[in-house]
Amino acid sequence: MLKNIQEWVLLLVIVGVSGLVGNWVGYDVFPLTALPGMAVLIGICLAGFILKEIIPLNFPSIAYISIIGVVVSMPWFPGSDKVVEWTTQVQLLALTTPILAYAGIAIGRSWSDFVKLGWRTLIVASLVMIGTFLGSAVIAEMILGFQGII
Amino acid sequence: MQDGNTAMGLWKDWRLHAIVLVIVIVTELIGTFSIKVGPGVVLLLPMLYALIIGIILYFTPAVKARQSMNAEPIIVLGVSLLLAKIGVIIGPSLPEVIAAGPALLLQELGNLGTILIALPVAIWLGMKREAIGMTHSIGREPNVGLIMDKYGMGSPEGRGVMAMYIFGTVFGAVFLGLLSGLLATITPLSPLSFALASGVGSGSMMAAASGSLIAAFPDLETQIIAFSGASNLLSLSTGLWVSIFIGLPLTEKMYGWMTRKKEGY
Repeated sequence: MLKNIQEWVLLLVIVGVSGLVGNWVGYDVFPLTALPGMAVLIGICLAGFILKEIIPLNFPSIAYISIIGVVVSMPWFPGSDKVVEWTTQVQLLALTTPILAYAGIAIGRSWSDFVKLGWRTLIVASLVMIGTFLGSAVIAEMILGFQGII
Repeated sequence: MQDGNTAMGLWKDWRLHAIVLVIVIVTELIGTFSIKVGPGVVLLLPMLYALIIGIILYFTPAVKARQSMNAEPIIVLGVSLLLAKIGVIIGPSLPEVIAAGPALLLQELGNLGTILIALPVAIWLGMKREAIGMTHSIGREPNVGLIMDKYGMGSPEGRGVMAMYIFGTVFGAVFLGLLSGLLATITPLSPLSFALASGVGSGSMMAAASGSLIAAFPDLETQIIAFSGASNLLSLSTGLWVSIFIGLPLTEKMYGWMTRKKEGY
């Protein structure tokens, strides 16, 4: 458990540093300005990982992390204004770039399997994605419209 | 498919982290481009170049098999940072998310749209039972688990769902990123409806789809993030149940009906 925590902290810091650099290069936020926000985000992740270890439920750690993030930034939570103020400095898109860089390097290995699948698979798989995305959007549009939100 | 259980010593792979840092700097320097396609806009974002550069680098001596293997568990950690960030965006706008509750719940059924659109084409193209595994859902980890559990690893259904899984892993983020920017600008549907649709149950796809929406509609940034994040959270928790009780039975029924009709002629 302690070894795990050490590993998580080191890796989160490494990914966090890449995120801070991207945040600087792409969004002109100086790393020191965004540092408190990144530290808060890393803290939330750690809390989620630790909760997953100590709570004997088969609930994924990412679910804990999402919920902790929501709770600590809700207006009634003590210090939530600081949490929001600091984390605003970390751009969402700056966090996605390192993730997809790691993903690309990982995906390279399954590329040849992918090429073997053939053109029919490409068409059907594209339609699966379009169907899901458009289907959800059309239903959302109807209900949001009905509720008067849009 | 597991999370939290990262192997030990991944932080020591300085080669991998240095490559990622260089990719980040290069792609952020290139920045965002928007290409007009008819009335719509296709957005090219740094994260899309990062994915493509990562794949290309795998085939160069810069990346060895070791780096590729080490990169995999780190994606989960990166996604958890992203989910923490999404969480702190949802918190302050929770009242709006709750107001959108019914839309949030019901749009999950929209994922069934894939069966209506993709299954007939798959059958028309001559696919057999592979089509069931492939089109019953968007084919993320829980769906792969479901199909493997029900039909077995080597079954045609199993091959179908794996094909979808690989497609989603390789192209999902790029595909949804391009699609959402384009559809949100050419269709009359609201960007917020597309934000809800972005939560398909995959962190990277959601990030890409909502990222394009934000770049196209910067004024709506907070709402887009709150809606897509909440929707993704919901998809993660309910998506499997929708597949078990509605998606898969419906796909089976439609498949049986469509192939019988075809044989009858």
